[in-house]
Amino acid sequence: MDAWIEFGRGPLFRLCFTLMVLGLARIAVLTVIGMVEALKKNEDKIVPWRELFNKTFTWLVPVTVLFRTRPVYSLVSFLFHIGLIITPLFFTAHVLLWKRSVGFGWFTLPQSLADYLTLTVIVGGLLLFLMRVLYGPARAISRKQDYVWPLLLVIPFLTGYLCVNGSISAATYRWMMLMHVLTGNLIMVMIPFTKIAHCILIPFSQLVTGIGWKFPRGAGDLVIETLGYKDRPTWVEKPRLGCESMDRVEREADDK
Amino acid sequence: MKPLITEQERETAFKFPKKQEIIDKQRLPVRYHVEDFDVEDRPRRFLEAFAAILKHTNYRFVLDHYVKVSAKCSRCAVACQIYLATGDDQDIPCYRSELLLSVYRRHFTMSGILRGRIFGDPGLTDEQIQEMADSFWNCTACRRCHFECPVGIDHAIVTHLGRYILSEIGIAPRALVVSTREQLIGKTGNTSAIPVPALLDSLEFLSEDMEEEKGIDIPFPIDQEGAEYLFVPAVSDFLMEADTLMGNAAVFRATGDSWTVGTGYFDGINYGLFYSDHVLEKVVQKIEAEAERLKVKKILIGECGHASRSAYFFYPTFCGGKDALPVINIMEYTYQALKEGRIKLDPDVVTEKVTYHDPCNIVRSGWIVEQPREILKAFCKNYVEMTPNRRNNICCGGGGGTVSIDEIRPYRTMVGGRVKADQIRATGAKYCVAPCANCKKQLRELMEDNGIDCEIVGLHDLLYKAIIFESAKKSEVIRGENSRNHMEEV
Ligand code: SF4
Repeated sequence: MDAWIEFGRGPLFRLCFTLMVLGLARIAVLTVIGMVEALKKNEDKIVPWRELFNKTFTWLVPVTVLFRTRPVYSLVSFLFHIGLIITPLFFTAHVLLWKRSVGFGWFTLPQSLADYLTLTVIVGGLLLFLMRVLYGPARAISRKQDYVWPLLLVIPFLTGYLCVNGSISAATYRWMMLMHVLTGNLIMVMIPFTKIAHCILIPFSQLVTGIGWKFPRGAGDLVIETLGYKDRPTWVEKPRLGCESMDRVEREADDK
Repeated sequence: MKPLITEQERETAFKFPKKQEIIDKQRLPVRYHVEDFDVEDRPRRFLEAFAAILKHTNYRFVLDHYVKVSAKCSRCAVACQIYLATGDDQDIPCYRSELLLSVYRRHFTMSGILRGRIFGDPGLTDEQIQEMADSFWNCTACRRCHFECPVGIDHAIVTHLGRYILSEIGIAPRALVVSTREQLIGKTGNTSAIPVPALLDSLEFLSEDMEEEKGIDIPFPIDQEGAEYLFVPAVSDFLMEADTLMGNAAVFRATGDSWTVGTGYFDGINYGLFYSDHVLEKVVQKIEAEAERLKVKKILIGECGHASRSAYFFYPTFCGGKDALPVINIMEYTYQALKEGRIKLDPDVVTEKVTYHDPCNIVRSGWIVEQPREILKAFCKNYVEMTPNRRNNICCGGGGGTVSIDEIRPYRTMVGGRVKADQIRATGAKYCVAPCANCKKQLRELMEDNGIDCEIVGLHDLLYKAIIFESAKKSEVIRGENSRNHMEEV
């Protein structure tokens, strides 16, 4: 059992972590390439950078905008995210593990704070799940993964909390720890392929939208050409936009 | 969620104005009229059009991003005035955009194609197309939901693309298609089919009117080569918004800057913004051609939200990027003139309660927010705001081109504009200023159908009442003389 745990937080962790980093990096790079290519294709390269960066920042730290809609849900979600990001990164035992393998560590959270954050995540995750189930509009747009994620995310936090604070037997402790390590790894692997990819994508969102509203010149004509509409005896044959049909209509008018 | 509309209202709003046989023939249960098109093999042709558009435009990376980032938090639901009114799940912004995003995921991403193969999923169906054709034209493309999305999705861009693809296979509201056809290849070259002589007549008539009322000659310069500004209002203003036009002309008379209406092209309306990037481009380029013909220095768009947005944001896109002529909205111009003290306004003319409606197309981007407010506050004593306002304002309910579709009026005034109507009613204002041709039409119908006593006006309509010309002959005298003449004639 101990060997399994060791394997989970040693080689398996390294593998999963690398996969996560590579996966996320791939997504980020693809997004940036998409933006650059779009800008290259466009004649119009005027992008309201400042406004877009402002918006990006506003939504990265959404304290000014988040609570005007569905305040309770938003607050729960906000706290949940804080705990979710901070605790795994700055939890003392985690940092020690890093120190052991890569040789350096960093700032750690005081134990009591870590405990509170962990509890926030646990309660928050369960509440988010419940709100999804109980709130009609949320149910209407939810996919399977949307129900699974909040619960899945709670597991490593719950097991971690029990391992640190619970008065449990050594055997249960091992089981808990194994669960903790395995779900943690599983989550990392899944991040780039599921909606949790938003953790890396959000900083790009406003830029993507901003650039997305800029269209390449002449694309409309090319689309028509690709579709071969000029010869099609369907509705497009009626007077339409292409200059060709425009000429034709004029010619017909002249003939008359 | 509990809808705002009653069951009875729902029935009226969602009634089909079309004959059942047409719906059957076109296999398209939508409330707007559509010109006949090829109904066979629609899914395949939809996908072809989708592919062609993805190939030549930039939408792919946007969709890619949205597909991955969407967290389905459902905060957007209560931002949407349509959803608030109907309470139907289909009207949640995220639900709406998922209609197209799911097609993208299934047919244009690796994992989707693979999954399709493995599970034998046949892919896009006719029903899905019908649902999209309905849903995308229920949305007013107001972009309000974008401002509630924590992950930054702009559902309106998805709606925009969806409508574009649909239009490529022949599904677009007939009202818009017919107007655009007249504008791009018709004889008159504008959406309202106004011939140039009629335009000149009505402008002359307005000038005479203004001279009578203000005691000073206020011209509409026509085809002035080398003028500073080419004036392009929504063409419907020439037919229906005489007061707005007079206000525009009066401002220029006061400042003395050179401006001109071009007889070659004088229509700011651009339905392309609503259903086809192709049309969008062609229309914007018509403005460019006229600007080049008259060698003007700037493009000046009248009081119209979508006309302003389609020129301001897409003139550079389709007419030369950074080197394109600058585009401004008339309210920016007036605001500047007011700040510089070049126009005088009488603060005692408009004493009634006035409120201001922000047209989505100019306010969401933060472009025109305070300027009209400053102008109004300069001469309206009793100015009130509606809530919410500014960038967070609620759409009039006729955005995204839906206002031009007359057959869906019950839908617009009961569902689309429901929240807006309550909002305006709450202000108790006598005048609601809506500086947009679309908003004006929609709001007037909204007031009428909901029995609200509030007059919808343009900003320059009010300004025209209050503007003073110091060099003018005494207006009372003039008015007196005229009425005397008039009486003699009678
Ligand atoms: S763009 Fe406006 S109408 Fe359309 S879904 Fe979003 S909030 Fe609703």
